Amino acid sequence: MPTVKSLISEKLYTIDPLASVGRAAAIIERYGIGSLPVVEEGKLVGIITSRDVRRFHPNRLVADAMTRKVITISPTASLTEAQKLMVKNKIERLVVTSESNIVGIITYAQIMLELGKYTDSLTGLNKAEIFYEKALELLRRGQEIAIIFLDLDNFGGINKEYGHIYGDNVLRQATIILKNLINMNEDTLCRYAGDEFAIVTTRSLAAAEKLARQIVTAFANENWPGKIKVTISAGVAGGRRSKIRECGKDSSYIVKNLVNMASLASTKAKRLKKPVVVVEAVEFKETACM
Amino acid sequence: MAQETSSSREPLRKADVNIKLSEFEIPPMQDILFVGKKAPIGPEAVRRMVDAVSPEQYEIVRLNHETFEAVVVKKSLLRLLPKEKLLPVVIEESNRIADDKMVLKAQINITIQVSRTVDL
Repeated sequence: MPTVKSLISEKLYTIDPLASVGRAAAIIERYGIGSLPVVEEGKLVGIITSRDVRRFHPNRLVADAMTRKVITISPTASLTEAQKLMVKNKIERLVVTSESNIVGIITYAQIMLELGKYTDSLTGLNKAEIFYEKALELLRRGQEIAIIFLDLDNFGGINKEYGHIYGDNVLRQATIILKNLINMNEDTLCRYAGDEFAIVTTRSLAAAEKLARQIVTAFANENWPGKIKVTISAGVAGGRRSKIRECGKDSSYIVKNLVNMASLASTKAKRLKKPVVVVEAVEFKETACM
Repeated sequence: MAQETSSSREPLRKADVNIKLSEFEIPPMQDILFVGKKAPIGPEAVRRMVDAVSPEQYEIVRLNHETFEAVVVKKSLLRLLPKEKLLPVVIEESNRIADDKMVLKAQINITIQVSRTVDL
């Protein structure tokens, strides 16, 4: 998953707070940019946007037209973090800073374009990259997580018997069922791959198991087109972490480990013809890194 | 009708020079300056101006007001009347005649009346 850094354009234009709004307008127009960070003695003191230069008299100082409170983000931040920050603050641009140095500017449109690449076009769900990022973010905040791995039963057979268009419709309908059962405040759903879905949740392991059972039951009771039977198997894994800190090496092993355990559990559920298999909590004592 | 020819003389051109001399006020404002939200100069420019020509004599108060963005007040006035008492009155009166594109200066006279009784 790319970070904010990947969206920063190479050339950065800035302006002095004692320059005129007219000068800022000329730079913005000349280079076709939406905003200029305002820099005084190497320090970021504000931002002036194309909207500001239209609102204020061209004779004014930039200092009298700029927004003083600048929301900044680190180049290593994720795109979803940047997107949330913009939505929260109702802004369209973020100044990217690294150790108080301005690195560049990113826009909401750039972020949404990039995030679009991580959305599954068939179901509209997040792809696995976003799922991993969310799981890591929760771990970073010190929250307990559980993973529910869901695998449609005999989906290959459905495709072969009824055709791939029908199979696609099953996946869309499955998405609707899942969306109706999850709670957006606790659960993040993704289409993991093919006929597999995954949920990372802050629910307890027991509550995650309950949700998995509800999902399996909902699939069994669903009125599928053609009155065929579509079922799903679920594996649930959760882990306790006693010590997590950031370091330089590969970091996502806790999430990968949980996903692996949950996916094996779902395979086991399929094999044993049990609706849900739960993997007991595992104590993670090792260092996790981002 | 006389026709102008190439040999005709250049028209006579004169310049009248009128001179008005007066003393430049320092600072070029009086007791209070109101800065409109869309005025050609903003509070930061005013601050730098008064700091340069009359350091430490004026205070800039940023406002959340429909017309004015800030008001610059002579500090000596605020010793006579606290700004919480003075500003609402002057802002209300100025707002009657100003718009947000204006920079308005105001002269303020404050008379304090005191009546005290002492024991004889």
